Amino acid sequence: MSAPTESNSEAAGPSTSLSDMSKKPVVCIVVGMAGSGKTTVMQRICAHLYEEKVPGYVINLDPAVAKLPFTPHIDIRDTIKYKEVMKQYNLGPNGAIMTSLNLFSTKFDQVMGLVEKRQDALKYVMLDTPGQIEVFTWSASGTIVTDTLASTFPTVLLYIIDTPRCTNPNTFMSNMLYACSVLYKSKLPMVVLFNKTDITSHDFALEWMRDSDSFRQALESQQSYISSLSNSMSLVLEEFYSSLKTVGMSAVTGEGIGDLFSALDEAKEEYLKVYLPILRKNIQKRKKMAEKEKRKQEKENMKKLERDFAAEHTGTTKQSERTTVLGMSEEGDDSEEDDDLVVGLDGQDDEEENYADDDDDEYGDYYDDP
Amino acid sequence: MGKHAQVIVGPAGSGKSTYCKYMSEHLTALNRTVHIINLDPAAEEFKYHVTADIRDLVTLDDVMEELEYGPNGGLVYCMEYLMENFDWLEDILGDYEDDYIIFDCPGQIELYTHIPIMREFVRRLQDIGYFLCAVYVLDSHFLFEPSKFISGALTCLSTMTQLEIPHVSILSKIDLLGKNGSKSKLRKFLKSDVQTLLSELNEDMGSAFLSLNHAMGALLDEYSLVGFMPFNIDKPDSISIVSQQIDTALQYGEDVEVRGRDFEEEPNQDEDGYDPEDGDMGGLDSFENIDLEALD
Repeated sequence: MSAPTESNSEAAGPSTSLSDMSKKPVVCIVVGMAGSGKTTVMQRICAHLYEEKVPGYVINLDPAVAKLPFTPHIDIRDTIKYKEVMKQYNLGPNGAIMTSLNLFSTKFDQVMGLVEKRQDALKYVMLDTPGQIEVFTWSASGTIVTDTLASTFPTVLLYIIDTPRCTNPNTFMSNMLYACSVLYKSKLPMVVLFNKTDITSHDFALEWMRDSDSFRQALESQQSYISSLSNSMSLVLEEFYSSLKTVGMSAVTGEGIGDLFSALDEAKEEYLKVYLPILRKNIQKRKKMAEKEKRKQEKENMKKLERDFAAEHTGTTKQSERTTVLGMSEEGDDSEEDDDLVVGLDGQDDEEENYADDDDDEYGDYYDDP
Repeated sequence: MGKHAQVIVGPAGSGKSTYCKYMSEHLTALNRTVHIINLDPAAEEFKYHVTADIRDLVTLDDVMEELEYGPNGGLVYCMEYLMENFDWLEDILGDYEDDYIIFDCPGQIELYTHIPIMREFVRRLQDIGYFLCAVYVLDSHFLFEPSKFISGALTCLSTMTQLEIPHVSILSKIDLLGKNGSKSKLRKFLKSDVQTLLSELNEDMGSAFLSLNHAMGALLDEYSLVGFMPFNIDKPDSISIVSQQIDTALQYGEDVEVRGRDFEEEPNQDEDGYDPEDGDMGGLDSFENIDLEALD
């Protein structure tokens, strides 16, 4: 259960002031569907950071990747052997990726420690996530990692889109809906990166995002059931696009990489201005709720204690009567009484511990989830 | 009578196989002959009797080993291989023409939204005369906050816009929810209307999201996406209600010629109780009638 305590300690951190936060490096979580080119993008970013002599830190969270074209500073594969997990837990590839990530997230406080130690020197921290997107977005460990990072560093999501595939308006739309889903899940600023622009320019996507009529036309030419885009859907998409930063980039040629970094910097500002206050408010709200719960618990405990005392009191009078009769045997009774009291206090402690878990019940729950 | 099948989709580990087991037991109890066909080449072990298994055709381990693919590439390869050898599936289905089929599909969202492979799969099934209903299974553990609830609904929508078949969304693992108030939170979401959800969302996410939240509300309303149905394996009633809902979507048991239906109208029709003539289909007037006791 190290994760809940860890997130508790993170929750205690919002005392750091805004200026402190702005000095910290941007943490960029790279997500994207399998095959969208996450790893190549990471490679390009690493190369760029090295060339420009920008201090960066790279973390790989994909346990199943065979070869990485770059050298991460922290690699999940050094900690967890994915093939061993498959063997030892008798899991298939998916289950093993999930389990590896779960195991790793229990040690994520150490990763945080390493990053925090270097935070003054760093400008960017890049996080590569497992190939299959939902392993990260719909898993307990992904949530823990994201929330832990977001509560300590300005954190930005980089959603990578396979541009050539998105020329199909249906694919484009479901990709955008998924991105929107990720936005709601993480509540972090998001940069959408249209990758592989060397094959297909992302101008068509920008046009679709700017002008919903043109997108509607593209959909209609598809002759599918949903070809008539519903109004509410286009409204959501429009609103979503307006809150979005987009970058077109080719990870292969490196074209557009400068835009990516300026978008990341902008997203950092957005995190500080828009997201951090919400985050803090929510943390404080959660704290308040927890305190209220705690007071309630304490009150109940006091009542219980009072009742216990009352009962004990009557018990003792009887005992003292008995003592006078039994004489020496009184000591045995005494110790028994002490035991009772100890048990009572223990019980109270237990309850308080329970409350501590409840405080972050989400995490507790995620955690129990296999 | 037409050929009917459920297509079970949802993220990895969301409880698809468990759903298949309990749903097939339920349907068997209703005197239907049910066959489960596994389409996940990476499946591990089954909790149910498998009639046919894609792994008889191709297994992910073999593909990964022989072609040296990673898990992703391997999975895509397996599914493409299935499509190339669709005859294999057709042969199997041919043996069970009058029976009820449940397809246990692989979870990777990429197969739905990124590569149109599942879409093609669904098309092929429709071509050979199947009426399909997608069942989207989502783990209830992830839906505590309003924003996460919306996120779940959007993931579901993202998949469904690609498949373009009627769908029912269910929440799994309710029996595993802890006692720490999570059930009551969930019940609140399932019971509340879009407006309540929205106001909570606004409070939760701050003013920057107001307009997006607002637009989202309209979308949820139109697609009745908040209509997640609880599926609690400890409560037979909840299983029965889900199955009735699916029957409605499949138009199961209707002797009249079945017409093609518009995807967009689908969830709404479900919500509106569908058709007055359909009284025997379970008579669900709206989602509010859904057995929220399943959460108790």
